[in-house]
Amino acid sequence: MKRLDLFRDVLDKQVTDREKTKMGRVDGLVLELREGQPPRVVSIEMGFVVLARRLHPRLADWFLRLRRRVHVRKQACYSVPWSRVLDVSPFCVQLDVEAAETPAFDWECWLRDHVIAHLPGVAK
Amino acid sequence: MNMKKATQLALGIVTGVGGFFDIGNLATSAQAGASFRLQLLWALALGTILVIFLIEMSGRFAAVSGKALPDAIREHFGFGFWLVPFLVLTLVHVLVLASEIGGICFALHLLTGLRPAVWALPVAILVWLFLWRSIFSTIENSTSLLGLLALGFVVAAVQHHPPSGELLAGMLPSLPHHDPAKYWLIAVSILGSVMAPYLFYFYSSGAVEDKWDSSYVGVNRGIAFLGMGFGSLIAFAAIVVAALVLAPRGIEVDDYHQAAMMLTDAFPFWGFILFAAIMAIACLGAGIEVSLSMAYTTAQTFGWNWGEDLNPREDARFCLVYTGAIFLSSLLILFGIDPLKLTLFTMAISAFVLPFVAIPFLLLMNDRKLLKEHANGWISNTVAAFLLVLSIVLAVVTIPLVFLGGS
Repeated sequence: MKRLDLFRDVLDKQVTDREKTKMGRVDGLVLELREGQPPRVVSIEMGFVVLARRLHPRLADWFLRLRRRVHVRKQACYSVPWSRVLDVSPFCVQLDVEAAETPAFDWECWLRDHVIAHLPGVAK
Repeated sequence: MNMKKATQLALGIVTGVGGFFDIGNLATSAQAGASFRLQLLWALALGTILVIFLIEMSGRFAAVSGKALPDAIREHFGFGFWLVPFLVLTLVHVLVLASEIGGICFALHLLTGLRPAVWALPVAILVWLFLWRSIFSTIENSTSLLGLLALGFVVAAVQHHPPSGELLAGMLPSLPHHDPAKYWLIAVSILGSVMAPYLFYFYSSGAVEDKWDSSYVGVNRGIAFLGMGFGSLIAFAAIVVAALVLAPRGIEVDDYHQAAMMLTDAFPFWGFILFAAIMAIACLGAGIEVSLSMAYTTAQTFGWNWGEDLNPREDARFCLVYTGAIFLSSLLILFGIDPLKLTLFTMAISAFVLPFVAIPFLLLMNDRKLLKEHANGWISNTVAAFLLVLSIVLAVVTIPLVFLGGS
């Protein structure tokens, strides 16, 4: 059995998609507590609000309030079921997703289309 | 050693020279030489030895682990731990970038007579265009080759025949005969400018961009030693020139105008223009590195796609970080902050933040799971321990010194 230390090997690690595009970090881990059985990792979470919650709950509330005015990202917290994890290597946690289609890339795509595309000298 | 590595070594050394000497070194060297002649050479020598070790460790870390520092620190110590160094580093990046932009603006002011503030936005656009249109290696090579103009200081220093007895005496720390607070503030600022945090954070990301692996450990050692060594030679020469040209005339540098006289004795006709050119090019090269360093650090902290070789459409957030940083920093100059005062303040702050940015890094250098046989040995760790203590001392004494010896 391969041993995985959640804190050392998974939390805060670089997340990439199928094509190895960097799409964020493991900002949070969710465990499911089961009656009479050992706990199980059900999902990883990504998003500023997850980071904010790690620092202070009030910071997370403030973040969520701010989000009501800015509608770029579809979900504040992008939760990926552990079943979509392809590989955990020393470099990254690779997910079986396409980065550009996930909430983790909403800001990236928005900024690309609304800001970068309007700056001079960008190849279309 | 194969051809590719030999080229990397040569380029790396040139980059070291070009990247090392920036506005912080120029300002602190001019002040040190003008006010205390050669008495502060020891601070530069000490800083140089330490920065050689810091750069060597940062490059070795990146080559062996394949990871840049911000990436690895967040991963190993967690977001909560990394947040403080990250915020501190962001503040320092903005301040240093503003100082570099201020340096270019002042050089243009020397050449054209127009106020530095007038140049703030054009210079910001110039720095930005370099990053926007070029790829990593072009940036590295072009600015560092031009940076060799700074060797003009070395030529001038040799021409002035510095007294060798005083040179040697300056290499040993001694107590000042006047203005002790100013003396120690400049000493601290020299250390802050030589061990600039952006330097070793940037270097590790650069090594990852250049796809180094464990076979580069030797090349890296050469670059660290020769690149930083030669770079420091220029700062060394700048102190000597300031000591022999400015100090005898009683000129203290509290404005870059006074520093601009440094090369006119050695090169009567074009010394002034050479000084302005060195200042502009050194600051441009460093400004580009600092902007990139800020973008690397932010992108790696949040796991965004990053790389100067990617098209901006592939790493929008990365590009917008350096774009934002450049324009934000240029505002400080646009609003008329004095570039020299800003630089000296920034160098003191750089010294103040050293423990925050260096301690996590030095701890990581001992992670055998990550670095295996390339983890720090006893020599590196002895230096690291010394650096740790020194950085804490610097953090404690800097702020009182800024008030006492304040510029």
